[in-house]
Formats: sequence, C-alpha cells, structure tokens
Amino acid sequence: MSSIPALSALRRLRPDRLKELSLVALIALAVIIFGLVVDGYYSGRFFNRVTTSAVIVVILAAAQALVVISRNVDLSVGSTVGVAAYLTADFLQNNSGAHPLIAVLIAVAVGAALGSINGLLVAYGGVPAIIVTLGTLALFRTLVSLYSDGANVTADSLPDWVIELNGSTIVSAGGFDLRTTFAVAIVVILGLQWLLARMRWGRRLYAIGSNPDAAAQAGIPARRLTMWSFVGSGALAGLAGFMFMVRVGTVSATAGSGLELQSVAAAVVGGVSILGGTGTVLGAFLGAILIDTLRLSLVRVPQVSEFWRDAVLGVLVLISVITDSVLTRRLSRRAGSAGVGNRMEASTQAVEPTASTAPSPITTPVGLATREESIDV
Amino acid sequence: MNPGPEPVLELRLVSKRFGATQALADVELILYRSEVHALVGENGAGKSTLIKIATGIYEPDTGTMELGGHVFDPGDPASAQRQGVAAIYQEPSIFPDLSVAENIFIGHQDRGLLVDRKRMEQDAAEVLQRLDIDLDPSQPAGALTVAGQQAVEIAKAISLDVKVLIMDEPTAALSAHEVDRLFRQVRRLKQLGVAVLFISHRLDEVFEIADRVSVFRDGRHISSRPITDVTEELMVREMVGRDPSEFFIRTPQEPGQVVLSVEDLARHGVFRDVSFDVRAGEVLGFAGLVGAGRTDVALALFGVAPADGGTITIDGQPVTIGSPTDALNHGIAYLSEDRRKLGLSMTQSVTTNITLATLDRYTLSFGLIDHEAENRDAAGLRDRLGIRTASLDTPVDNLSGGNQQKAMLAKWLNAEPRVLILDEPTRGIDVGAKAEVHRFIDELARSGMAIIMISSDLPEVLAMSDRIAIMREGSLQGIRTRDDADQESVMAMAVGVA
Amino acid sequence: MSEWARSHRWEVVLGGVLVITIVANAILSPYYLGLDNIVNLFWLSIEKIIVAVIMAFVIINGEIDLSVASVMGFSAAVLATLHESTGLPFVAAILIALAAGALAGLIQGLVVVKLQLPSLVVTLAGLIGFRGAARVLLEDRSVGEFPEWFDRLGQRALLGPFPLAVIVFGVALAIAWFVLDRTAFGRKVYVIGSSAEVSRYSGVDVDGVKIRLFVMSGLTAGFAGVLFAARLGSVRGSLAEFFELDIITMVLLGGVSIFGGSGTMLGVALAIFTVLNIRNGLGLANVDGIIQTGTVGLLLIGSVLVPNLASHIRSRLPFGGPPLSTADT
Repeated sequence: MSSIPALSALRRLRPDRLKELSLVALIALAVIIFGLVVDGYYSGRFFNRVTTSAVIVVILAAAQALVVISRNVDLSVGSTVGVAAYLTADFLQNNSGAHPLIAVLIAVAVGAALGSINGLLVAYGGVPAIIVTLGTLALFRTLVSLYSDGANVTADSLPDWVIELNGSTIVSAGGFDLRTTFAVAIVVILGLQWLLARMRWGRRLYAIGSNPDAAAQAGIPARRLTMWSFVGSGALAGLAGFMFMVRVGTVSATAGSGLELQSVAAAVVGGVSILGGTGTVLGAFLGAILIDTLRLSLVRVPQVSEFWRDAVLGVLVLISVITDSVLTRRLSRRAGSAGVGNRMEASTQAVEPTASTAPSPITTPVGLATREESIDV
Repeated sequence: MNPGPEPVLELRLVSKRFGATQALADVELILYRSEVHALVGENGAGKSTLIKIATGIYEPDTGTMELGGHVFDPGDPASAQRQGVAAIYQEPSIFPDLSVAENIFIGHQDRGLLVDRKRMEQDAAEVLQRLDIDLDPSQPAGALTVAGQQAVEIAKAISLDVKVLIMDEPTAALSAHEVDRLFRQVRRLKQLGVAVLFISHRLDEVFEIADRVSVFRDGRHISSRPITDVTEELMVREMVGRDPSEFFIRTPQEPGQVVLSVEDLARHGVFRDVSFDVRAGEVLGFAGLVGAGRTDVALALFGVAPADGGTITIDGQPVTIGSPTDALNHGIAYLSEDRRKLGLSMTQSVTTNITLATLDRYTLSFGLIDHEAENRDAAGLRDRLGIRTASLDTPVDNLSGGNQQKAMLAKWLNAEPRVLILDEPTRGIDVGAKAEVHRFIDELARSGMAIIMISSDLPEVLAMSDRIAIMREGSLQGIRTRDDADQESVMAMAVGVA
Repeated sequence: MSEWARSHRWEVVLGGVLVITIVANAILSPYYLGLDNIVNLFWLSIEKIIVAVIMAFVIINGEIDLSVASVMGFSAAVLATLHESTGLPFVAAILIALAAGALAGLIQGLVVVKLQLPSLVVTLAGLIGFRGAARVLLEDRSVGEFPEWFDRLGQRALLGPFPLAVIVFGVALAIAWFVLDRTAFGRKVYVIGSSAEVSRYSGVDVDGVKIRLFVMSGLTAGFAGVLFAARLGSVRGSLAEFFELDIITMVLLGGVSIFGGSGTMLGVALAIFTVLNIRNGLGLANVDGIIQTGTVGLLLIGSVLVPNLASHIRSRLPFGGPPLSTADT
C-alpha cells in the first residue's frame, strides 16, 4: 500500500518527464545487469568510452528532435556533418593559428547555412521534408566531395589542439573523466532542452507538431518556425561535424555517412514521436546514450559476439515504438470514452476512435505546413 | 432604446453563396453584452456558414459586420480571436500533447519570448477558477475528456478577453452531468459580460440556457425573440416550416417480403435496443438529431463498427456481420454521409470509384481487370443516373457535389444490393440534383430494393419514406407510418419534448 | 493523346530528360551506345533497381519500407551461412534465403497493420535489426566459394548479352506494370494509398493488401540479395548497406507521391533509366560518382519543387484559385 503515493506522484508527471525517467531507469538497469555479467565493467575506461563515442550521435539526436517535434524529419544531418567537418578541417589546415572558437563558429555556420536550404524548401517551397532532405543528403555530400577533390585532411595537418581536445578532460575522478567534448554536448542538450521548454517558439514547435490545424487557427507562424527548426538542426549538425573532426582526426569526404538514420533511431528510442508533438531533447539524448551503452556493453559480454549489437538495437527501437504507441492510445482512449454517459458520443467519434488519432503513416511524419494550409473552404 | 442592452456583435444583411447554393440570404443577427443567444435551425439552415463568417473563415458576399460599434472584418480566425470573437466546436481543436495551461495561452501574442511555466500555470489556474473549472493546468490536454477539452477552450477564450464566444453544438458529445457543468461555465461567461452564441439542436437545452433565440431556415433569418416569448411548438414550426409538396411524390406500391430484420441491436455506449424490419420495395426513413445514433446503427449493419448485441436477420436467416465484406456478401450496401472522407476516392477516376466495391466481378484470370466490361457498366450507370462528367476517366474531385453524390450512389447500385442504406443522401447538393436523387430512390424501391434512408432533412424524410423510425440519444423512440407522421410530431420525438 | 499527356505530365517531363541525357551522352562518348555499355548501365545497379520496382508499390500504397537493403543483406547472409555450415543442397539454401526475406516482410507488415504503427518507424527498426541479424550470422567473415553454376549465373551473360539479373529486372518491370496498371490488385494498391478509409468502406481488404505488399517487398529484397551474392561471388554482413535511400529516391523521382495514391510504373521505369543514364554518362565522361549522386538529389527536389512553384504562380493569377467546394452548412 505504501507504493500508492509514489504511483500517484508518477501519474502526475508529464508524459515527457515520465519517458525521460524511464530511459534513465533503463540505462541504470542495463548498467547493473552488464555489471553482473562482465568483470571489471564498472571502470572509468568504459564510462569514458561511452561518453566519447556517443558525443556525435547525441548532438545529432537533438538536431533530429528539433525537426521531428514539428512533424518533419532531417535525413541530411549525416551529410551536413561531413561538409562541416571537412570545411572546418580544411580551414584549420590552412590557418593553424586560428582560435578554436573560430573553428567551432565556422562549423556551426556552415551547418546553419545548409539547414536554411532545407528549411526554405520545406517551409516555403512546399516540398515534403523527407524528399527535401533525401535530396540534400546526396547534394551536400556531393558538395564536400567536389570541394575536397578526393583529398583527405589528415590528423597531422591539423593544429595540435584538435588532437588534444579529443582527450582533454574537465574533471576526472577515479578514472572517470568528464571529457570536454561530452561536457559541451551536455551543455548544448540542456540549453536546447531549456529553450524548447521555455521559449515561446519552442512551445509553438510542439503545437505545430501536435495539431497543425489548431496551430493555424491560433495564428502560429508555422512556416517561419519550420524554417528556423531546420536552421537549428543544421547548426547542431555543424557542431557535430566539429566534434567529428576532433574525434576522428582524419576527415574524408565521406565523413558522417549513415549518421542520419542513427540519429532518427536515437530520437525515436528517446521518445520523440515521429508523428510530431511529443518528446524532448533530453529524451533524445538519453536515447542516444542508451543505444551506445548497449552497443558498447554487448561487446564486453563474453558470450555475445559484438555482432549482436545491431540486432539488439533493432529490437529495442521496435519495442520503444510499440510501448509509446500503446501508451498514447491508452491516453486518447481515456479522452474518447470518458464522455459517454447516458448520452451518446457523436457518431463520427463512435465510428473509429483511432481514425483521428492515428494519421496515415507516411503523410504525417513528412506532413508540413503547406499541406495543412490547403484547407478547403 | 436606453437604457437598453448594449449590442456587441451586429451582422446586417449578410449573404453568402456557394455555387448554386445560397447558404445565407440577407441575414441579420445582433448579440448583446451578457446574453446567451441561441441559434436554432435544421441542418442546412445556414448556421455553420454564419459561424465561419463571424470567425473570419469565410468572407461574406454582401452585408456588414460591426464589433463594439466598429467595422469587423477579421480575415482569419486568429485575428477574429484577437479582436474578440472566438468559436468552440463540438470537437475541440486542442493540442493534445501540450498542457492545459499551454493550450490556454499558446495563441497569445503578448506574452514575451520566455515561457514562465509556473506563472503561466498560475494564470491558467486563475482563469479556470474564474470559470469554476476544476482542472489541473499542468496536465496534458490530450488526456482530458471532450468536456474537459471544451472547458480548456472556454478558458482560452476568456484569457483572450473575447467579447463574443460562439459555441457550435458544444453538448453533442457530453453526458447530462457534463452538460450541467458546461452550463455553469456559460452562466459564468455571461456574468463576465461575454455574449454567447449558443447553437444546439436540443430544444430543452435552449430553453434552459438561452436569454434570446433566433431561428434560421434555408439560409434565412426567420425570427429573434426573448426566450420567454417562445414556445417549443412555435420554434419547431419555424424551424421546419417548409412545404413537403416541393418534394417528389413517391409512387404508391404495396411492399413485399421482409428482407432485413433487426432485433435488439446494440453497441455498447453507442446505441441500444434497436429493432425494426424493412421490406422489399419499402423506404424506411430514419429521423433524429445529429449524434442520435442513426449512423452508428447503419455502420453496425454495414460491419464497419459491428454491433455487440442483438440479431440481424436477412430473408429469415440470422447472419453475422463483422466487416463491410460480410455486409456486401449479404447484400447490404451503405452510402456514407461523408462523401470526401469515406465515400469516394477523390483522386481516382469515375469508373474506378463506381466499380470499387465490385472489383471482383471484373476480374479475369491473372487478376486482370476487364476494362471493357468495367467501362460499359460505369457508362450504363452514368447514363442511368445522369452523372455529368467530362469522361469516365476524370477524377471525381473534378465533379460537382451533386454529380459526386450520384457517382457514389452508382458505386452501390452496381453492387446490386438487396438492402441499401442511404446516409444523408442529399446533403450539400443543389435542388436539381436533390430531385434527381429522390427520383432514383423511388425507382429503386419500385424495383424491389429495401431502402433505409437516414436524413436530417425532415421534409425529405416525410416525403420519401413509407415508414419513419425516430432515434434519440442512442435508442429508437418509435416507428410511424407516413400517414401518422407530420413534421411537428417527428421533431418533437427527436428532440425529446413529446 | 493530349489527354494522356496531361494526366501523365511528369512522365512526359521525365521522358524528355531521358532523351536529352541519351542524346548528350551519345554525342559526348563514342562508347555510350555500344551494347557492352548498355548492358553495363543496368548491370552496375541491378539489385537496387529490382527492389525499386516493388518499392513503388509500397509507396503508392501509402507506406514505406526502409528495411529493404538490410533484408537484402540478411537473405544473402542466410544463404551464405547455410552454404557454409550445412550440407543442404544449394538450391534449398536459396529457397530458405528467399523465405527468410519474405518472413522479414511479413513480420514488419503485421506490426504495421495490427499495431497501426507508422511504417517509417517499423521499417527503420527493421533496417537496423535485419542488418544486425546479417552481422550475427556472418560476423566479419566473407563467405564465398558458391557452386560454380551460381557464380556463373550471377556474373555471365545468360541470354544474348544479358545476365540473369538484367533479365529478371526486365521481367519484373513488365509484371509490375501489368499488375499495377491492369489488375484488380493494382487498383486496390492505388485506392488504398489514396484513401484507406474509403477502401475499407467499400469492402476492400485493406490490411490484407498491405501485408501482401510487405511480404512481396521482403521477398523481392531477398531475391535481390541472392542475385547480388551471385554477382559478387561472396557475401559479407554489410552487403547492400545504405542502398535504401537510393532506391527510394528513384521511386520518388518517378513521380510516385510520398503521400500515396499516385504514380505509375512507367514513371518509375523512366526515373530508373534516367538515373542510370545520368550516372553512366557522367561516368563515361570521367565525372566522379558522387557528382552523379548529387545530380540525382537535385532532380529529386526539383521534381516536387518545380510543379509546386508553378501551381503557386498559377494560383496568384485571377480566377486561378482552387475551386470552391459546395457549402456544408
């Protein structure tokens, strides 16, 4: 009986918070289980490995969350990472005396510029996000290839601070290092989380994703906000590009390939609904961390070959999507049925309770402001 | 006039036309401060058009609107809201993923860059309290009941400081208890000086809540009076006051054998204890208000939302109908009331739509479609029903409403059903097309088809049906033969004042 | 004829682009029209374009299948594993590999239909999961030494100058066109994609069609994976990795709406030929492969953007607005 107050406290939590908490619990559970199976699992080295390896996907998951929340998707983030990483590395190779912050600014600006192309095409060109970003996925990659002309920027041509930054640590306790790059990622995540939760435009992004028609009725400038969400996602991908350069050292024209779907997976596992309107950047961050923890932990289990990790990850993505949809449906069912007393529901609602809450699978993720604007009069 | 009430919103000589339909003709409506003004009328009376004009969704063709003595020309719903006119609908348009407080304040243009969640929730709590609404402002709105979501919309309107709040059938989806609570909120609004335009089909509610009542019919303003000067009988007469003689006269004939028989049909929480039978060559009309459960009975017979109690008998044999395929196999077809969403595949051709439910008939070996046969049958139905279209390959989206309706009818005639259920078969189509549809219904009945016709157009039901079943709040109130039924008695049963 | 052109505007445009590409290529390179080059043109992307044919069905139906490339890898890995570690006859191993592909499709189809989840997410999980399954089977090994007849089928011309896979593609395209354009099943694919609810209300077995499409998608991907194994002569866990986006790009470029309900097999075929010819022509001109990719990306965006802008401009003209629907008062 003592669990009742705790339960009701949980119930009072907003669903996003609940999702974040459950992810933390899952990560903790994974760490505990692996700790029982793997000798010497609780080592600083393992912690450091997870945190350094996750940095790039963590930032990209946040970028993805930014656009998915408003019912879009950005498949070009991997290519944006490549462009930003290469241009920044190339700049540093020619200006080795430049201040590190300049390099970060260049990477972010390059990403934002590419993001604004996506944003323009989606918000003002009326092209579905999935098509735009599928196209720019190829296009941006082409840009960097053309620019590089096949040449790599090698680690030894970069200033020393780049290599040092990769291993640099802010605080260290008993082998557990807080790497600078990871610290930056955390600051970015927390900052973005705060912005999305507290800034008016952040809440409006949620509103657009949650109910585009109602957003239009409320006078929310959907096009402008969609545009800026892509600029933001591009800027974050640019930052991830900088991190890529720092972590890998040698940058080729193919840098960051394949990260787009990883970032979508991390966001989805982190509770960001592909149908828009729900999920948080913090959730996406935890999703990325959970994935990386599992990946790197599975490698350490003697009975399991490292090759299991993707198979496990696929199942994990599926499970988290299914639980999410079951939860959401339960929520909406509560809303739908509670109105029925001695009176009857309106006939349209009684027909198919899921019809309005489960939009068609393709239209919604890529649904965009302009489609909603063609309301027939 | 002094010290008479202060007018807030004034609509004068407002007209709106859509193609061949005159939706509103020189309508006048004046709302005063601190009053609840009920607007009643049948479907098609022009109520929805009026709401859309007042909230800036439509531009009136002619006429003037004034809000607080100034010209009111909103342009879009957001600016109508800012200027002080908001509407809430039967199905609330909320953001399910956002909290109650956020839903209340999301449209505000003046709340700065940062969202102070705590302050916002305090403000929301204050607004909710002013309205006597017991909701937690931090709760996600998607988890609320329809009543709760409506309360959020009312609170939103109050927070926007609206002068006029339009409520379009707000009680259609509420339980009796929730209606009481809604009415408490409406009275609060009144105390706060808001003019409430209350639209409802339920006359008992109108008498309970309204100070004044206006009746619309066929796009015209019939009357506006203080509620104390009106009786139910008067209101009903003004609402329906159309002459049934303008309708097609059915060819008299003796109905044949019972084709479909339904006993104690029920679907939990939707309708219950529905029993009737339909004979070959008979038209059984279903009258009732929107949301009375008529469509739900039809959907149960058609297998879309199957019944969970009672029996369905066809030609004396009990049958189970769990899907539209079952229904079609038993010879039951259903013409949906929602042409665009459920009736026609708008981007597909006329032929494709006409043969959609009967595709198997045109399937040769290897699954090949017999285009020739398909086009022949489609052309036959086009000629028989007089569907006007550039070609049979034209997407139905390009057809006029009346011709779309006929194309949808053609789809079901092609299935050669024994029982044809027509749900609002003439809604939203012009007078000419309406008369043609009526002629077909008569022709089909004469050919021996059993027809169930659901219609909210009372004169139509009375003119076309051999017998009329009246539903109210999910249960069958009774079945009248045409000779015992008139508009007043049927309407009285449908609104529950008899 | 002009009626046809009006309703197939995109096909006409694509046809024009294709002709221009072919003419330009023929002028620029003397080798272009050689038979070897024409075979080669198909040959280098043959597995992708076979899968693109079935992907068109899935997208027209209003769904998407991101898992195809992983299922290709998975089926090939099943084949390689059976060959490597069991004494099963090779033909039986092929059949099991195909069944594995179909099963992968079935599972995803069931999840999409029964749990009403977006196929984008379900097949993203499939993309990761089936790739993972391929890695579990093969780890980091490369398994080859298939029977000689299998390698020969995969690598040599079978009929005239054409290898088996090219013939398969030709046959698949013809069957796909027939099914989509001429059969009741194809009709249902369109109608469901354009409105699943209308279809359900017309007695069409919506769920059954969707599941069948996912099974076909899995089966075709499995088949393409086996063909790829034969062409390469060996299989790794990473076989066909990242092919999915190329495949989807070709389908969308063919004028298939991402929202479902429209698109033609002719358009998809023209898009495939255009992409192949652009790549081939640029390749002959020694242009880097990545520029070829970029050109295709540009075409993809342009294919939706240009008509959008055109209709936007048209709607700005007087009397050009959308038709008013009838009043529903």
